[in-house]
Amino acid sequence: MNAAPTNPELLDRLAAEYVLGTLRGPARRRFERWRNSSSLLDERCRFWEDRLLPLLLPALRPVRPPPHVWQNIRAQLELPAPAHRGRTLLYALAASVLLVLGVGAMLYWRSLTPAPTEAATIAAPTGTVAWQVEIYAAPGTAAHLSVRAGTLAAAPAGHDYELWALPKGGAPVSLGLLPQGPNTTQRALTASQQQALAKASQVAVSVEPSGGSPTGQPTGPVVFVAPLRSVS
Amino acid sequence: MSSSAGSELELDEQLAELLRGCAQSQAPALQRLYALTSPTLFACLIRMLRRRSLAEEALQDVFVTIWQRAGQYQPERGRPMAWLVAIARYRAIDLLRHERSAAFPVADLPAVQEPADEAADDRTVTLAGTALLERCLALLTGEQRRCLELAFVGGNSHADVARLVGSPLGTVKSWIRRALQSLKACLES
Repeated sequence: MNAAPTNPELLDRLAAEYVLGTLRGPARRRFERWRNSSSLLDERCRFWEDRLLPLLLPALRPVRPPPHVWQNIRAQLELPAPAHRGRTLLYALAASVLLVLGVGAMLYWRSLTPAPTEAATIAAPTGTVAWQVEIYAAPGTAAHLSVRAGTLAAAPAGHDYELWALPKGGAPVSLGLLPQGPNTTQRALTASQQQALAKASQVAVSVEPSGGSPTGQPTGPVVFVAPLRSVS
Repeated sequence: MSSSAGSELELDEQLAELLRGCAQSQAPALQRLYALTSPTLFACLIRMLRRRSLAEEALQDVFVTIWQRAGQYQPERGRPMAWLVAIARYRAIDLLRHERSAAFPVADLPAVQEPADEAADDRTVTLAGTALLERCLALLTGEQRRCLELAFVGGNSHADVARLVGSPLGTVKSWIRRALQSLKACLES
């Protein structure tokens, strides 16, 4: 069996070709043996695996595998089926009591807190969520809006972020200023805000002078537009 | 290139945490890891192996390996997705040795047209490091880049790449070698 080469240039070249997949056949298997016993070689492989990843991912469209694949994996590894098996009667009894209590509590809680009817996630292009907006407008309840602030740079000094409903075929309608910093705010929706939301499929965020737009229409740059999706 | 929902950093942390769970033989961790990453790994395997049934078998092998080797994953030495993708790609290359004759190289379009799977959790597709790699790829010639993609994404051998681009084997080998040298210099600078 050949010993691993020691020339760092050659080692790196082999690692790159191994990760790329062009090192094949007996050379590939020999390299795998070297990698298993050399932390330097392993480090070079990790380098290439990490750096080349962005070449691969954008070229792939995720495909959900059929359910039997997971069932085969679970069977092969002899993983316990979820829940039961190996539980004593006492555990089972305790679990069912907790379940009944839990379901009861959940139903009670749901009767107190209606689910949102619409929601929008306002996120930066990097995926960082700036605000999570939820609209509660189920019949028979007081219509209101809930906004949870995520992470975002503060508005420029002397300015605020303002949220707008964008009704189809109409002018934007203000939904108020957006909170900054980690908190959740709730406010009631007026009739005109509700009408605008009913006709809107998007919301937008603009940068406005402190206290909100002086004209009732967006005056500053629009920094986000997000779709409004039905939840219930 | 659009970004995906959820911060990449958070997803990396979540995947690393799930791998720790797998290393401690926690079955729910593997199940969650499977839910998050199997659509991307399956797509990668289909692309390289071209036969869905073979890709399904490979995916099973891959997750068995992940479960067995999860303890070897070290977050400080690379992103979890890179580690997972490497296991899948190396398994596919092993299978190609037995399964595919060089007469059927994989071109840049997937041979199996898969419908977009809306249910698949697209957070699995994360793009960290794209900007740096793109900057470095921009330094390559068109031929160099195409050869790299045919090899890395399609799982093609030197000979298959040469056939696909219609250039002599020796030329393709040296394009790939120079492309990797140039990428290394750029990525490490």
